Parts: sequence; C-alpha cells; structure tokens
Amino acid sequence: MAQTPIDAPVRRTLRVKPTTIEDKIFFGISTAAAYSSVVLLLLIMVFLGARALPTFEEQGIVEFVFGTGWQAANEPPQFSIGPMLWGSVLVALIGVTLAVPMAISLAYFIQFMAPKPIARATTVLVDLLAAIPSVIIGLWGLAVFSPVGAHWGQMLNDSLGFIPIFSNTAENFLRTPFIAGFVVAVMIVPIIASITREIFSQIDDDLIKASVALGANRESTFRKVILPVSASGIVGGVLLGLARALGETVAIFFVLNLIFDDFNWFRIISPEGGAIASLILSKFGEASETEISALLAAGVVLFILTLIINTIASFIVAKAQPWRNR
Amino acid sequence: MSVEAVARPKFAEPWKKTNQRSKLIQIIASTVPIGIATAAWLFAGVDLIVSVLLVLLPLQLIAVGIAGFLLKGRRGVPDAALIVMTYFLGTFVMVLLVSVLWSVVEAGFAALSPQFIFQNNVYVTPTTGLEIGGVGHAVIGTLLVVGLSTLVTVPLGVATGVYLTETRGKSRGVIRVLLQAIAGLPSVVAGLFVYSMLIVTGVSAYAGWLGSLALVPLMLPTVARVTEESLRLVPQELRNGALGLGAPSWRAFLMVTLPAAKSGVVTAILLGVARVIGETAPLLTTTFAANNTSINVFDGGLATLPTYIYNYVSLGFDTSIQRAWGAALVLLILVGILFGAARYVSRPKSLKAKKKKEKR
Amino acid sequence: MTIDQFQLEAKDINVWFGERQVLKDVSLQFPSNKVTALIGPSGCGKSTFIRTLNRMHELIPSAGLAGSVLLDGQDIYEEAVDPSTVRLRVGMVFQKPNPFPTMSIKENVISGLKLSGRKNEISDDLVENSLKRASMWNESKDRLDEPALSLSGGQQQRLCIARSLAMNPEVLLMDEPCSALDPGSTRRIEETILELKESMTIVIVTHNMQQAQRVADKTAFFLAEDNQPGYVVEFGETQQVFGMPVDPRTNDYVNGHFG
Repeated sequence: MAQTPIDAPVRRTLRVKPTTIEDKIFFGISTAAAYSSVVLLLLIMVFLGARALPTFEEQGIVEFVFGTGWQAANEPPQFSIGPMLWGSVLVALIGVTLAVPMAISLAYFIQFMAPKPIARATTVLVDLLAAIPSVIIGLWGLAVFSPVGAHWGQMLNDSLGFIPIFSNTAENFLRTPFIAGFVVAVMIVPIIASITREIFSQIDDDLIKASVALGANRESTFRKVILPVSASGIVGGVLLGLARALGETVAIFFVLNLIFDDFNWFRIISPEGGAIASLILSKFGEASETEISALLAAGVVLFILTLIINTIASFIVAKAQPWRNR
Repeated sequence: MSVEAVARPKFAEPWKKTNQRSKLIQIIASTVPIGIATAAWLFAGVDLIVSVLLVLLPLQLIAVGIAGFLLKGRRGVPDAALIVMTYFLGTFVMVLLVSVLWSVVEAGFAALSPQFIFQNNVYVTPTTGLEIGGVGHAVIGTLLVVGLSTLVTVPLGVATGVYLTETRGKSRGVIRVLLQAIAGLPSVVAGLFVYSMLIVTGVSAYAGWLGSLALVPLMLPTVARVTEESLRLVPQELRNGALGLGAPSWRAFLMVTLPAAKSGVVTAILLGVARVIGETAPLLTTTFAANNTSINVFDGGLATLPTYIYNYVSLGFDTSIQRAWGAALVLLILVGILFGAARYVSRPKSLKAKKKKEKR
Repeated sequence: MTIDQFQLEAKDINVWFGERQVLKDVSLQFPSNKVTALIGPSGCGKSTFIRTLNRMHELIPSAGLAGSVLLDGQDIYEEAVDPSTVRLRVGMVFQKPNPFPTMSIKENVISGLKLSGRKNEISDDLVENSLKRASMWNESKDRLDEPALSLSGGQQQRLCIARSLAMNPEVLLMDEPCSALDPGSTRRIEETILELKESMTIVIVTHNMQQAQRVADKTAFFLAEDNQPGYVVEFGETQQVFGMPVDPRTNDYVNGHFG
C-alpha cells in the first residue's frame, strides 16, 4: 500500500522573551546594567591601550618590554621596563615557591590530620588572614620582617655566598627580592591554602576509603590518590595566587629597591630588583605626559601578563571538572 | 537473649591500645629533637632559624622516621616523614601569619586611644607624639570613598549577576569572560587609568570620588561573580514553582529567587567591600591625603586609612610609624567586622531555623 | 589451619557510635571457600559489622568496639597488629563503584599493589589474571590504557573487584556490591562470586534475598528493633534459613512480611 507522505513536523522556535511591561522592564534593567558593566570595562581596556600606544610606537615594543633604563629627562626620553618586568616575575616566583609547600601542608593538616575543632578554628583563621589588606602586610614586612629577612640573607651569603643565587655585591641585605618575595608569600598563602582545602574537602570520600581498604598507608594515599585528583584544582589556585602576586604594589614598594638600568636575574639576597606595579607607583607623581603614557604602557604589559595567567588558570580549573561531576 | 543496649565500656577503642614500649618511643621521638634544638639555640648560641631548619628538622625527621620504622615497619617511614613535614611547614606558616596579626594588634594597640580613633591630624607634624591627632578623618574618608564605590558597584554588579543567571541573553558568555579578565586588572593600573583620564586632562583635581571610581572595576567582578554563583545555587524547582503558579518572571525573581539567595548576595557585597577597603594604590594615584576632616568627596583632599598608613610609613619617623600601626589596627578591625558579618550572614540555614524556633 | 578453625571468625562483637550501641553480641564463623550472606532490613548494622572485619570501622569518628575478630586464629585487633596489613589479607568491595578517576583501567588494577608498596608483584600476567577472575578481561583487554571512568557502572564495579583480587586476599568483603547496578551486571557479578569462592572466603551484605539464595552457602539474618542495637537472629545453611527458619521473625522477613 502506498504510504501517504507525512509532512515532517515543522520545528517551532521556542523563545523565552518577556511579554508583559513589567517583565520587559525587569529584563531591560538587568541587561542594561550588565551591558553598562561591559561598556565600563571595555572603556578601560580601550583607553589603556590607546594611551599606551604612543609609548609602544616611540620606544618600540621589543625595546620597551625587554630593554633597560628609564630616563624621563632625556631628549628623547627613553623608557624600558625589562628589569621591572623580570623583577615582578622573580618576586612572584619566589613568593609562589615559598607559599605553595606551606599552603598545601596547611590544607592537608586541616583536612586530613587535625581533630574537628582545631580544623574548624584553623580554617576560620586562615580565611580571616586572606582578608588582611596588603598594605598592612607591607607594613609588617617593612617594620617586623625586614631585619629578620636581612639577617637570614646575611647568613646565607656567609655560608653559601659562592653560589651565584646567594651572592651580594652591596654591603647590606635589606630591600631584596628575597624579602619582597617572602612578604608576597605571606600574602598569598591564605588564598592558596583556602582553595586547596576546599578542593581536598570535595574529594569523594569513597576514593579515600578504597585506598585505605587496599592497605595503603597515609603517605601512599596522599601521593597517589589525593594529589592526582586535586592536581588541576591546586594548579589553578596557585596560578591565581601568582596573578595576585604580580599585581601587588604597595607591599613590595616598601621592601624592594628598584633598579632600572640592570637586570637582576637571580641574586635574590642582593638589594636590587624591580616590579612593574612599584615602578608605576614611584614615578607617577611627577610624570610628564610622555612618561605617563610609558607608565600606562607598563601597566598594560602587566595586565596582559596577568590576563594570560588567569586564562591558563581558568582553563586548568575547568579541565578539572570531569572528576567532580561524577 | 536480651537485646537491651549496654552502656559503652570505658575502653572501647582497641585500635588505640599502645604498650609502654611504643608510647616511650613516640615520646622520645617527639621531644628529644626539640630539646636538642632548643639547647643549641639557647646555650650554644646557634641562630634561631638555623637551629630550627638545620638541627630540629633533620633530627625530627630521623627520630620520627626511626619511630615509624620501629612501630610500623617499612611503611611507617614515609608516613613519619609526611607527618613531620606537615607539622613543620604548617607551624612555620602559622607563626608567620600570626606574627602579622600580632604585630598589628600589639603595635597598634599602643597607639590606640579614644582620641586616636576620633581626632584628625590637623595639628600634627611627623614627629608629634601620639597624644595629639588620630585617624578620625581617615576613617570617615575610607567610609565615604568605599561607600560611594559600593553605591555604584552594587546595583551594577548584582544586576549583572542577575542578567547572567536569570536571562537567556546571548552575550552572557562574553560578559563572563570580560569580568574574569578585568578581575586581573592590577589595582595600581586602575588608579593610573583614572589619574590619566581625569586628572591629567584637567577634568578634575585629586578628589575622593575619583578614588571611588578607581575602586569600581576592582569591586565589580567580585560582586557580579558571587551574586551569579548564589543565584545559581537556588534550585530551579523553586523558580518553577513560582512560574508554574502563573507569576511573571520579575515577580518570581523578587519574591522567590532573590529571598532564597539573599544571604549569598549580601555576602557578595560584603566580600566586594572587604576587597577594596584595604586597597592603597588606586587611592594614592587619585586622592590627595589631607590632615583635616572632610566629607567632601568631590573636591579637596580626603584621607583614607590605607593612604594614611602609606604616608606615615613613608615619613619614616618612629612616631609616624607608630601612627601607621594604629591606623593599621583600625583598618584591621573594620575588615574584621565585615568578615564577621559575611560569615554571620552565610551561616548554615539549619542554625537560622533553630534560632527562630527557639525564639518562639 | 586445623579443621575446627575458621578462616575468619567474629566473637562477641559489640559496636557503639558515641554512646549509642548499634550491634550487640554478634558471633559468626566464616568457613573458608564458602560464601556467607548477611541479610536483614536497612539500618540493622550489617554494613557496620562488615567494617569491623577489616578494621575500617575505626576510621569513623566516635566508633567504639568490644570483642574480637580472628583471622586464621589471630585477633586482628591485637595491639601489635598494623591495620593496613589486615587489609592486605581482607579485601573490600564497596556499594558504589569507586575506581580511581585519574588512572586507566590497567593502573586501577595494580593500584592496590602500588599503594601498599608491593611493586615487585606487578606484572602484565597479574593484570590479565585479575581481570579474568572478575570477568572483565574480554571487555577491557583492548582498552587497558583508557581512563577507568569510561566504563559503565557494572564494568567499573567489576574493575573494583579485579583491583581487590590483584591483592590476592584471603577474604573478600562485599558491601551490597550490586545494589547500584542493573540486573545484567548483577548476574555477572554473582557468577563471578561463585567462581571466586574456590580460592577465598567471601562475606557479602545484601538486601536482595534472591541473591543470597543464589550465591551464599551460609546466611546470617540481622535485625534491630526500634532504638535497640542490631543482633543476629539466626545463622545457618542458606537453604535452612530460607526454607525452614527456626525463628518466626526470620520467617516473616524471608517471606516478605516486612523489610
């Protein structure tokens, strides 16, 4: 029997659109607000780019980013952020290197070793410490830690000074990348510890039980079960801390000597270093128009660096989701 | 056989049995290294950090490692190392963090007095003793500047969060990415942006409201993101319930979703404020710190707590640094209040329900 | 091992959580190369009891215990005994399959050996053997390096069984291993259990009475009345417990009058 052709069903578009006046206003307001936020933020980015552009043109991007020297008074003025850029990175690296082992230990202690009341109290304390404004930590760094850090630097130099990383040409050990890095570490440890602890607490308890039931000791369970499952989340948290460290201004400004003409690649207990954020802070007050453009350009470079790191962090954290959604 | 429950005997944890030998081993392993290290520090004049790192740590690792081996065999050694390192690093970092808190409290307390909290610094020179002058003007300045920021950011941020969760707008993805990007804006760059756009061009002189403006991009992503997350946590069933009863979207939102997410949104706001209340760099580039009390955010100098701290630290005199500590303590107290409020607001719902029941 | 010694035996087990007693005077003997099923309504302490057999019970905060568990005649709760050594001999399969998500199928099978430091026992033969004994070889032999989570629920559970088998345990404890699975997977696992008992002793907690009748040689019926600790009402050959129960409460339960 011939089949009567059946019309394929016509797909109707389902639209979720506000119909009443009130709804239109509701959606309208929230959309307007969201778009305003966007406009505001885009404005910032565009403006920064525009004002920074002359500097990139005059100095040449490569020369600006990787060269040395900051001579505003020269004719023509010469601006390069090389030592500052590397300095930011160096201080941030020192900070992260010091902070990560401490933060993970703290998180492990809270989640897997401490009795409940102590775990709770420590968690509150760590969360509170994450909220301490960085200027206060900078003050502590300057007034309390600097002499201690300088003392340690001196001892390192006395005993291990032959190793380039611990060499020192000046006679004092204050205002060094080491001290700045240490202060930054104190700042980001609570952040990383909080995130790591959160990740540890979300690990499926069944996995730990499975590991224990197989006869694992504490260290095996940590190294082979807990860490692999938490790895991407922890890395994401570390990168977030790193981005924060790069943007840190005042605290570093208090405890670091800025040297514009030379790269300090690795002499961490020597009083020479740099940081872009501190550069901006130190120069903006009496800056001429061109110098301001240069400072903005430096800010743009720093911003781009933090953007890249934040993007990588989000990517890594997103990749970690499959474990958690199971 | 009777199945009445029997009271739990005093010793019901056989896995915790330890004999004299293992107790002794554990005690020796934990205390001997500390004793040796303390002796080295106090009597042999070894520097503290050296005795901790080079004497205590290795000795403790060895001692606890041996104890682990004696008590649990080969598998006990890595466990011992893990435990020692965890305690070691954890204690080290807690000492540092508590040191920060303690310094602020100790040094700040010395400067604190009713006069310090309420007076301003009109008659104060860098070397004036602490009997005169205070942070009153800075506290007011901070409240004004941050308050203004909050006034602008909260509606924007919350509404953006609403847009991201409650609507089907096509730009949601883009907006999220943009918010994430701006969250990485270094605070000093935000300040420099306002400086070069409005001060250098002559639109305005240094003023409080410029500082508020600079704080907005720093606060906005936090408020929007946390609002979005709390709204997201509201189960769809709740919304469906309201919509199913015929309520229009806006009513469903205002009467069902928002109240359910209320504590989350309040937390978002508090966290946003806590984030910027201590920001220094953006204020340094946009405001001019004055010694008198002013409530004019649109003109003239306005001191804020972070800039106060910065300025007095930069002066370098003993008295000025003391003032800085005092201001730091006041700032810390403010942050603590915000933090406590955020925790109170976001406490588990079961506790809130219990408290309500008890009231009746 | 003498004739009158059982592979695994629980003597006068009493369990508390905090001050509340949840198990009273449980004494059971588990003969080797036999399957023993623990049945009873929800919440009467079967799972809690099984956790006392491999010293997983003590991991729960506020746990309390009196009595002894003899493995080959030796009390596993004696002072000198390291709990992880007990777990090497008494394996456990959980209700919800829990393969390690960051590891492949092959890595999961050998994970127990790696975690307990027995790396020298690892070999491809062992992997193949364990998967075969768990009836998983054909489905995984071509995908050994794929992530364990790419398997279906039933396959994951069999992978977990293979993981436990790789440890070559003397006793295998199974806590409702099939309750999260579909009937097809359940059947395959039951077949596996029947094959496995040739080489080890198996204790299985189950809600499913037909399952108990299909796989178990002996059955213990647990019961707990309101606010009272759980206890064993009846323990005997499976056929007898189901066919001619001695206690009327057993009769009620196995005939579906409550549960």
